[in-house]
Amino acid sequence: MKKFLLIILVCASLNALILENANAAGISVDAGLTPPQDRWIIRNQFRYMHRKDDPTMMDRKMDTYAFPLVIAYGLRPNLTLMARQRVKHRKMSMAGSISRDTGLDDLFLLAKYKLYRKNTRDYTFGVATTLGMEFPTGDDDFGSETWDLKPGIFTSWRSGPWAADFSTAYQWNGFADKGKDGLNPGNELMVDLAFAHQFSIGGRADMSLSPVLEFNYKHLLSDRLSGQNVSNTGESLFFVSPGLKFTKSSFIMEVLLQFPVWQQQQGSQLRQGTRLIVGTRFMF
Amino acid sequence: MKRCIFLSLVVMLFCVIGCNDAEKGETAKTLEASETRQYEVFGMDCPGCHGGLEKLVKKIPSVQEAKANWVKKQLIVTLHPEANDEDIYDAIKLANFTVGKRIK
Repeated sequence: MKKFLLIILVCASLNALILENANAAGISVDAGLTPPQDRWIIRNQFRYMHRKDDPTMMDRKMDTYAFPLVIAYGLRPNLTLMARQRVKHRKMSMAGSISRDTGLDDLFLLAKYKLYRKNTRDYTFGVATTLGMEFPTGDDDFGSETWDLKPGIFTSWRSGPWAADFSTAYQWNGFADKGKDGLNPGNELMVDLAFAHQFSIGGRADMSLSPVLEFNYKHLLSDRLSGQNVSNTGESLFFVSPGLKFTKSSFIMEVLLQFPVWQQQQGSQLRQGTRLIVGTRFMF
Repeated sequence: MKRCIFLSLVVMLFCVIGCNDAEKGETAKTLEASETRQYEVFGMDCPGCHGGLEKLVKKIPSVQEAKANWVKKQLIVTLHPEANDEDIYDAIKLANFTVGKRIK
């Protein structure tokens, strides 16, 4: 078991391959319910993000491929520890020239604490709070270069085949320091709402398929330098995200498309295109 | 010398057979002395969550087998007749689920 985890950690480190922010949740189902004690969860995702519609004459475009790996462990029934490492690959094109970069994002550690949970014959309701920390361990142009604090609150409700999840988190970027050249990166607010309906496959109890509909909002404040807002930074994004989740005993596969139905950027930033998330989860 | 080696081998063989028989006897005894209990469990909401409960229940020394069903909201446990229900209830709590009633 320990060997298996070590291999996964080493592989994730070796895979280390980008500054598109890969937040704005996606597949946020189950967040308010802490897993059982001694439960391991390994979650791997592939996220594709596309930036386009350059308001300037430079015809800029950006494609980002992110590979986050999350390892979670139920230390106590009311406490879950989590580590996330993202590897990113970025392709940028400008006026016909293309550049590619690969690098490691910042390491993110998080603790989730169960505040409340009620299980009844008819429904399950849970509330959990989280406190996360992003360490400035990422490569140049990929990591934030600051210590970032991320508190959040998650709620989950289940009744029969229906599921609803709501979460909100605030990322205080550079809470303890400043970034490169004294730049203070903008803070982020994330609000996610997810609904799902579970269909049992072939009447089997160990297999199900769930259509998922998520609403993801992210507000990123402008970066600040010497007390002034930095131009061309800061944006608001709102996604409507349909998806599918397949569960087979201890394995979950999920696919989500995030359509940016509303967005507002400061200055001449690129606009957000449709995002794709494909992920797997192994639980043991 | 040859006789000593032969005798030692025979003794070892008997020991091995004896041990195997003893194990078989113990297994048979364990199997004879087992019963199946059924509990109502609330909070399991998908095929992926019963694995965590089964893992915790199987850690209890007197438990031979545990099978949870999230659709029926049930946990079926094969265990020693003298096993305590409280151990099962504790495992269910550690899994963040809630015990209903003991069905069987």
